[in-house]
Amino acid sequence: MGILILSLFLNGIGLGLVYAAVAIGFSLVLGVSGVINFSHGIMYAFGAYFFWILYGNIGFWPALAITPVFVAIIGFVIERALVRRVYGLDPLFGLVITLGFATAMEEVIRMIFGPAAYSVSAPSFAKGIFLIGDFAYPQYRLFIAVMAAAMLAGVWLLIDRTNFGAVVKAGMFNSEMVGALGNNLPLLRTSVFILGAALAGLSGILAAPIWSIKSQMGTLILMPSFVIVLMGGLGSIPGTIIGGLLVGVSTSLATLIIPRFVDIIPYLLMGVIIYFRPRGLFGEQNIAE
Amino acid sequence: MIGKRYQKSAQWIVLLLSITLALVLTTTLVQAQSKEPIKIGVVSPVSGNYADHGLLERIGMEMALEDYGNQILGRPVSLIVADDETDPDVAARRARRLAEVDGVKFLMGGVSTSTALSVGAVAEEKKVLFIATNQNGDQVTGESARHYVFRTPPDMAILVRAGAKYVADNLGKKWFFLTHDYSWGHSGTKWARNMLGKVGASEVGEIKVPMGNRDFSSQLLTIRNSGADVLVITLAGFDNVSLLKQMNELKLYDKMKVWYTLLDLVDLYAVPIEDRQAYICAETYYRASPAMEKLNARYMKKYPKVASPVLDTATYNGWLSIKMLMEAIKKAGTADDVEKVICAMEGLTIKDNARKTPSYVRPWDHQVLTEVVFGKANPVQGNDILEVKALVPAEGVARTKEENPVNVGCKK
Repeated sequence: MGILILSLFLNGIGLGLVYAAVAIGFSLVLGVSGVINFSHGIMYAFGAYFFWILYGNIGFWPALAITPVFVAIIGFVIERALVRRVYGLDPLFGLVITLGFATAMEEVIRMIFGPAAYSVSAPSFAKGIFLIGDFAYPQYRLFIAVMAAAMLAGVWLLIDRTNFGAVVKAGMFNSEMVGALGNNLPLLRTSVFILGAALAGLSGILAAPIWSIKSQMGTLILMPSFVIVLMGGLGSIPGTIIGGLLVGVSTSLATLIIPRFVDIIPYLLMGVIIYFRPRGLFGEQNIAE
Repeated sequence: MIGKRYQKSAQWIVLLLSITLALVLTTTLVQAQSKEPIKIGVVSPVSGNYADHGLLERIGMEMALEDYGNQILGRPVSLIVADDETDPDVAARRARRLAEVDGVKFLMGGVSTSTALSVGAVAEEKKVLFIATNQNGDQVTGESARHYVFRTPPDMAILVRAGAKYVADNLGKKWFFLTHDYSWGHSGTKWARNMLGKVGASEVGEIKVPMGNRDFSSQLLTIRNSGADVLVITLAGFDNVSLLKQMNELKLYDKMKVWYTLLDLVDLYAVPIEDRQAYICAETYYRASPAMEKLNARYMKKYPKVASPVLDTATYNGWLSIKMLMEAIKKAGTADDVEKVICAMEGLTIKDNARKTPSYVRPWDHQVLTEVVFGKANPVQGNDILEVKALVPAEGVARTKEENPVNVGCKK
């Protein structure tokens, strides 16, 4: 039993890091621009589909490098064409416009690739499994956990250790004041949106070999991302990581006790956290502020 | 005198003319009626999660209509498609509209047991015949069986019993159940559990998984350490594609065998070959008989770029459902009297059904009995993804009258 609990705990850590990697871009855009970006999920799906196409033709590493750039370009176009129209308005406007775009794009994916599911194999260097007695941990899960951790560390360095990051952080508290102080606020918002899109695309790549690819995959990842952001606090990198880990570990361990109800665990956790800390674990403000 | 005789003759002429006119009018009216198209309302998913299954079943219906030259009893036959969105409320609304506004006397289609139940209720209310084409839940011909409802695919009792003995004798006797947490999933596990004593197997545990689950790693780690010989799975859809991948990722096949009580073979096409290792009960397989291969060749030629690379069960069931209805109308000699068509459908046997066992419509519960396929997934490139172990006739494994005490037939 002890070995099983350890397996489940480590599995939960890996899952949590992936969830956090998906949610971090969502959190940054929400924090800096006040937009509840429901197109984040479709960026994640774009990442998986682009990767699936490229992987078969140019191999794993080149596909891994190129795909986020494609998704970032799409993010740039959406921000220019749609999202910047709702800056400064009620967050619900952003939610509606990005949700509408995501729904339309989901149908476009379905029209192009059909309704069937697709899958990609894990790269050959990570196809095995670590087995020590009853302890089991797939190598690819370790790989994506490391990649997700590297992504999160990269974002943290960018936000915490660079001038750009300092402006972004300031933007999360008072974006209008950041603009008034001579910073190019529209450029800042565009940059953060592009970064969020690229991170979503990268997460889609990592998840594709374990969760398979289908047009609705973006919609399905949205709610867990939103829950993690609300738990961790808007725009908070440590909050998003801890939120992701809490969701990953609790759902993994709950399989032992209440497997039928693991889906509601993240929502229960969110309810408890929001009850005691309405701004989330590390948040300085909530969506309505 | 001459005037009176003339008057009498004139009366006779008027009478004869009236009779002739009445005869001509009646014949014209009857001819006009008999040329009126027979409309079949297809309540089937066009949008949403199961749109691909809906498309596949409608393709089968079109193929069958082609076989009949799109007509029966000298009347043209047409399909009117209504999107049920795989939502029971929407399905009922669409069915009601088809009956009331379009005046259809025959309904068919659907891929979910819940929509079959709601459309079945409308069929009974409007007194129209409904054929459930792709739903496996027990209720459709079980506790919710209706005089106006027929079901083409096998129920879960048939599928589970077709494989249980082979599994216990050859794969292992300690079973762990992985169940999709809704009525269809529960049906599969219920019947598998029901077979435990009969095949000398025992239950090690069960995990119920909610729909929409994408990551099964925690469940599979638990199952991996359970000591079971066989994992018995009743789980479907997009979730299942992830499950198929993750079972191989966690090397579950090194620890135990895996048996699907029912698997949509399109899921197998969606995963890499190394993930195809399970034992499977399936409704049909395109290589199960020469006639089925012929039907498949026709499908592949005409529909080369749809959701399934080969003839899928949903397509076959759509094809067979139209064929049964056409034969019942032919047997009844009318498409206007629904009751006559229902009674003609009962006991109907379709021999040229592209299978080794004829399809028989059981009169008392309106369940169609054919055969089911038991096999093992083939980890090879190409379309031949199933190694068929047995074709099991449904007659010997279907629920008996004692197990399913309903009687919805014409003869009470």
